[in-house]
Amino acid sequence: MANYFNTLSLREQLAELGKCRFMHLDEFTEGVDALRGKKMVVIGCGAQGLNQGLNLRDSGLDVSYALRAEAIEQKRQSWKNATENGFTVGTYDELLPTADVVLNLTPDKQHTSVVNAIMPLMKHGACLSYSHGFNIVEEGMQVRDDITVIMVAPKCPGSEVRAEYVRGFGVPTLIAVHEDNDPNGEGLALAKAYAVGTGGHKAGVLMSSFIAEVKSDLMGEQTILCGMLQTGSLLCFDKMMEEGIDPGYASKLIQYGWETTTEALKYGGVTNMMDRLSNPAKIRAFDLAEEMKDIMRPLYWKHQDDIMTGTFSQTMMADWANDDVELLGWRADTAETPFEKTPAGDMEISEQEYFDNGILMVAMVKAGVELAFETMTSAGIIADSAYYESLHETPLIANTVARKKLYEMNATISDTAEYGCYLYNHACVPLLGDFMKDITSDVIGKGLELDDNGVDNARLIEVNAAIRSHPVEQIGGVLRGYMADMKRII
Amino acid sequence: MICLDALSVDFDGRFQLHDVSWTIQPGEHWLIAGANGSGKSALAAVLAGDGQGLSGTLSGLPDRVALVSYERQAELIEAERRKDDADILDVISEGTPAAEIIDAVCQDHDLAQTLIDTLGLRPLMGRAFRKLSTGETRKVMLIRALTSRPELVVLDEPFDGLDHDSLMWLQGHLSVLAETVPMVIVLNRFDECPEFITHIAYVDDGHLLHQVKRDDERAFAELYQLLHLKTSELEVPRADPADRLPALNSGDPLVRITGATIRYDENTVFENLDWTIEANQSWQVSGPNGSGKTCLLSLITGDHPQCYVNDIRVFGFQRGTGESIWQIKQYIGYVSTALQWEYRVGTGLRNVIISGFFDSIGLYTKSTETQRAIADDWLALLGMAERADEPFNSLSYGDQRLVLIARAMVKHPPLLILDEPCLGLDEMNRHLVLALIERICASSETAVLYVNHRSEDRIPGIDNHLTLSGDTAS
Ligand SMILES: NC(=O)c1ccc[n+]([C@@H]2O[C@H](COP(=O)([O-])OP(=O)(O)OC[C@H]3O[C@@H](n4cnc5c(N)ncnc54)[C@H](OP(=O)(O)O)[C@@H]3O)[C@@H](O)[C@H]2O)c1
Ligand SMILES: [Mg+2]
Repeated sequence: MANYFNTLSLREQLAELGKCRFMHLDEFTEGVDALRGKKMVVIGCGAQGLNQGLNLRDSGLDVSYALRAEAIEQKRQSWKNATENGFTVGTYDELLPTADVVLNLTPDKQHTSVVNAIMPLMKHGACLSYSHGFNIVEEGMQVRDDITVIMVAPKCPGSEVRAEYVRGFGVPTLIAVHEDNDPNGEGLALAKAYAVGTGGHKAGVLMSSFIAEVKSDLMGEQTILCGMLQTGSLLCFDKMMEEGIDPGYASKLIQYGWETTTEALKYGGVTNMMDRLSNPAKIRAFDLAEEMKDIMRPLYWKHQDDIMTGTFSQTMMADWANDDVELLGWRADTAETPFEKTPAGDMEISEQEYFDNGILMVAMVKAGVELAFETMTSAGIIADSAYYESLHETPLIANTVARKKLYEMNATISDTAEYGCYLYNHACVPLLGDFMKDITSDVIGKGLELDDNGVDNARLIEVNAAIRSHPVEQIGGVLRGYMADMKRII
Repeated sequence: MICLDALSVDFDGRFQLHDVSWTIQPGEHWLIAGANGSGKSALAAVLAGDGQGLSGTLSGLPDRVALVSYERQAELIEAERRKDDADILDVISEGTPAAEIIDAVCQDHDLAQTLIDTLGLRPLMGRAFRKLSTGETRKVMLIRALTSRPELVVLDEPFDGLDHDSLMWLQGHLSVLAETVPMVIVLNRFDECPEFITHIAYVDDGHLLHQVKRDDERAFAELYQLLHLKTSELEVPRADPADRLPALNSGDPLVRITGATIRYDENTVFENLDWTIEANQSWQVSGPNGSGKTCLLSLITGDHPQCYVNDIRVFGFQRGTGESIWQIKQYIGYVSTALQWEYRVGTGLRNVIISGFFDSIGLYTKSTETQRAIADDWLALLGMAERADEPFNSLSYGDQRLVLIARAMVKHPPLLILDEPCLGLDEMNRHLVLALIERICASSETAVLYVNHRSEDRIPGIDNHLTLSGDTAS
């Protein structure tokens, strides 16, 4: 199979990358009608499979699970998930021939073998759906012509997909139709109904393309979302040890610092996060971020280029074929880093202190968000997608670091994200080596400790203007505005 | 020190105080609060020696106790009337003049003269006591009490019916007197509570239920709220006329569960359970921990995934036939500890109550003017009118529970499910919650499913019982 993206002309590539539109609630008035009475069969009952299925059933849809025979025979966790929740469980042979919609919610690296196994069993004119487009775009999976292929991708972990639905809300969701597989022109109607069934329409749906989803998703996760947090954690911790900061304090400042500082992004973007700093600290963070952006820019470009050309997926798939030797080795290495091995102390750190003593971390987030956004948009990805895959998701991932450090982050994200994260980290740590030499505890660990908080007016105005006028802040303002209309009235 | 120890007192067979234990230490001034008919006046009267002791002891009462109350006032007027009737002379008696009534007990004539002037009674001193208006006789009673050199002053609703100037004067006078004489004051309203009061006793149904220190701000506020819920004339707010639920077939039961079984792995929570809940029929569900009470309820609410593999019919929907859980939930109001844990939001109280219209945790939909007004009416009923914009997660545990009950009831659902609504609450907050539920039960058509395992938390009006025994249901 060939990389699908690479089979398209440049014009088609750009058109696909540029697809992304925020849909309004009134576009969903038909609810789940397009799926009513249809038989939906989910393959795999893991994080997404179980939770999407629970939501769809509670929305009045007919959901059952087709698991691989071993999972049923051995009563694996996936079998338990489905049966304890009162779902019908069966083999592919039992369930697929009558299925109207098949939801492929197995791990991405299994998609080729799974789809090859299920396709012959699917009835004529059925629909196959994904929650991530890797298989179609990067592996070039060819699906039978009569089958409609759609994507409904919640931009959140499975547990959140369920929790938000139960609250009466949902999580932001991306939908797409694979143009080559929409024989009856019903793909969009099915994807919309599916998004309603999971509650996604209440939180905001982006209508995009398989290609835009994959190329932006990969870029975001390996750079700012996971890569930058991993590299930043390791560098900041080592620096604080060098500067004689208490290890327990350093560990805690980092573990919870990402979550606390990026929480500010949700409310008012990079501007609001930077505004949480004192004026002198803000100017320092700004300068540090500018310096890091210049250093890291070629790395972000390389990641995006490798994603676009398919080099990244090729490299990763080679590791899949080699029993994940690299991935597992890097995972083990991460567990042995000083940051990972030093437990957080039990001292109190106030919310503001995370900002005041974590100026470098704030600068890293700013640099990473802006660079990822700039790189994606300059590669033809539309600003809306780039925003979701950079700034919007950062607090969600930071949240997982707070739970159990890098271990939890890497356990929660997909293997694809994890693999890309390690690639980034291996390149970025040495890249920032010289920069880190000049760093002292005033920007990480201790705070500026100035007698006088005064700053030059002209300089402050210049810095504020630069922060606020960044394109990620422009689109962020618009999208958060839409979201606020729909989102919980806080 | 005045000490009531497990004291029960009977008042002419009309009313009884039960098992009251209470001490009044030197330097303390008590307010007695409670709803009408709760026994607060009876408790005050006991201090003046009224009532027939049944059991327990009362000690340390001083000789001179001055009591001002409607009962005393009425007795005196009644005595005056009887004097008239008994009069054998054919001269028509004018009755005892007010001045004489005062003189009869007066120990401090100078003070009496000052009070007569201050309260504007001078022109009435020659008039027959029984011919005075209620307000005027009340003033006479006050003068009698205050000039009798009392060692304990007991005043039952002393501010009732006083004009503004007299009221101001009396309050000033009492606060001076409080420096030397202990006081017990019965009041219906907390906002009139004088500064010098150090303690509050709360009476309900003949029992002394709560004793609270004035400077314990939280307890004071809770007691205030409890009194408000018990005494406020506000009604349970109306439903939103624009928010019409799809009508249910009359005659259909709200819920019919047939042969239900819940099982995890090898572990059976209950099996073969049948249960029918008719419209307007309230139930209490009890059973030990782990007997599946919450499981059973969640089969009804649709929160239990095994509702799809059981034979359940709710609000006309056979579960698992294409209905959505939101179609089910619109008929149900629901409160539980688990919901409270889930409901960790910084949303303001008004919006939390409004979220009940949408069955959501947090509010994601724009509300209407009417919905906001109804939510405010609920807050007023809860005694939280001023707090509409306070963030929900900053509330005390008990207040959160009250707001969640209001949220559950805001749409007047046909079925209200209260899963251990008093769990985790202290005495005071339990009483608050029960007082609210009682008001709701008394004034709506809602069928209540009430789960609890404390028999003292019974709610009047719930007369069907379902007991889950642990392994099999009965
Ligand atoms: N996790 C997220 O945050 C997230 C967010 C958005 C989209 N997605 C997408 O959702 C999809 C599913 O991801 P997930 O995180 O839910 O995966 P997951 O939790 O790892 O679950 C995968 C399920 O697939 C089954 N499975 C594994 N290998 C299989 C095979 N060869 N054949 C058949 N079944 C197999 C597993 O059950 P057995 O091993 O017992 O058979 C398991 O139940 C992916 O496309 C992912 O990119 C994930
Ligand atoms: Mg992603």
